[in-house]
Amino acid sequence: MQCLNDERLQALADGEGSHEDRAHAASCAACGARLRARAALMTSIEEALNPPVELPADFRLKAEATGEQEGRAVAAGEQEGRAVATGETGNGATRLRAFPGESRNFRLQAEGSRRWIYTAAAIAASLVAVLFVVPAVRKGDTTVSASEILAKSVSQLSAVKRGIEVMEYELVLGGVPKEMIPDQVDGTYRVWQAIDHDVPGRFRFASFTADGRMVSSISEDPIAKRRVAAFSSEGQAYRFDVTLPSGARNMSLPEIERLHMEASIAIMQASGNQLVETIDGPNGRLYRIEVPRVSSPGSNPVWDLTEARVLIDSRDYSVVEFAVQGSLLKSPYSLSYKQIRHVVGASLSPDAFAVPSQPGEIVVTGEGSAVPSHDIVVLALRALAQAKRAR
Amino acid sequence: MQRSTEAARDLFQAHGTAIYRFAAVLVRHREDAEDVVQETFMKLLRHLEAGGDTTNLRGWLFTVAAHAARDRQRRRARWIPWAPEHETAVPPPSLEDEDGRIRSARTALGRLPGRDRLLLALRAQGLSYREIASAASIQPASVGRLLARAADRWAAAVRNDGGSYAVLERRTTPGAR
Repeated sequence: MQCLNDERLQALADGEGSHEDRAHAASCAACGARLRARAALMTSIEEALNPPVELPADFRLKAEATGEQEGRAVAAGEQEGRAVATGETGNGATRLRAFPGESRNFRLQAEGSRRWIYTAAAIAASLVAVLFVVPAVRKGDTTVSASEILAKSVSQLSAVKRGIEVMEYELVLGGVPKEMIPDQVDGTYRVWQAIDHDVPGRFRFASFTADGRMVSSISEDPIAKRRVAAFSSEGQAYRFDVTLPSGARNMSLPEIERLHMEASIAIMQASGNQLVETIDGPNGRLYRIEVPRVSSPGSNPVWDLTEARVLIDSRDYSVVEFAVQGSLLKSPYSLSYKQIRHVVGASLSPDAFAVPSQPGEIVVTGEGSAVPSHDIVVLALRALAQAKRAR
Repeated sequence: MQRSTEAARDLFQAHGTAIYRFAAVLVRHREDAEDVVQETFMKLLRHLEAGGDTTNLRGWLFTVAAHAARDRQRRRARWIPWAPEHETAVPPPSLEDEDGRIRSARTALGRLPGRDRLLLALRAQGLSYREIASAASIQPASVGRLLARAADRWAAAVRNDGGSYAVLERRTTPGAR
């Protein structure tokens, strides 16, 4: 006889194998050893997955929730060897009962009288109330879905704010956005940003490496009519300082980030497969919501999230952490955001919106347009041409 | 009707705890496990009163409990206790677990595919292959093979978690239930 395969060995370990297989295992040292190991594993599983927990002593079947008094009466009736309802006898409705003195027990009771139909109706009404109405009422004010949490979070993100909002956060980029900033190899940034909600378009965004070196600093100030972008490339600091054309109202970098977050959370909300759990954070309860994979509509989606998760503060539905991974226009990307500090209504000095000068920086000035990136390219080329003519 | 009520009562006394333990492994919270027991025996009562098949009621009970546990877990994933602002209510208590075995076993179990989880939980309650096949809606001839794979995956998951089961070293009687 051939040695036993895993399936037959398993059957033997489970007491289901054939006599022939058992005889073989008894005579074959190798199969005997495998059988003992398999049996030990199954014993482990049995012990681990059969926890020594008992139904609570006060466990009551819900259909009994209104009938403790009656239950005692029934118990007494049964001791006399007959079916008894409260004050009535006969045939009628059927129900489950559990008794305080008889743990994990219930009674199924036939009862009735000439008025059995009223009793039955009363019991049916009680059952409906206990089984359907009460849970429905309770659910209405005691539960909230992942979708609702996400919706509140999106509302919070897009809510109109007043005053100055300051945020500090860690940003980790991967894929295309990371490749767009080649100087920062690991794609990890610490970001400080201030938005003046009372002056539309006024903001400052500054990113730093983990060791505190500035990567970029961008500001727009419609009052001073200046747009400044400072960054370093291959160790050289540059500063593009341009006038802000009147009426120019571009989407700022913080706004683009916020909109991306909003859109991602909206996609998560649209997914029917959210997983939500509550965790205790340093400042209170947090909702952690995750969706395994979501795509924008269509068979060939332009935006696809293979993973998305968000951590939301239960106090105000603000986003504490946010991470997405997927592809946009078929290019892979990932983004992770972790909030460090968030203050609305902050008090900042007036120069907080100004980009500080860097030592040895090359300053390029000129007139700005509605397209900031275009300005940088045009001004850089113009400065290059001027330098060439000067030589 | 009297016969069905007595049968239901007997089945509750015989299997109530087993169903509770089975549910306790599949769901996270004690109150969910209790709800599974509630739902299972309420359905049993209706099943008996309707004159349903009684040839394998133990398997039937575990089938109903498995579905109820799965539904509860899905609901838990989508619905959570609502905490109004500044409300300090705590989430429902988990099952008591003095030595952490349930937790580690359940953690490892949670990494397995749904069918593996169900098969192992059914096996842990001492169900026969016929009963397991019925409850898990699989062919009886496949139970051994699928259980062997599930057990191997569970053991690997426990080891990956850094867990070790002293009982693995213990001598056991093959086939003993």
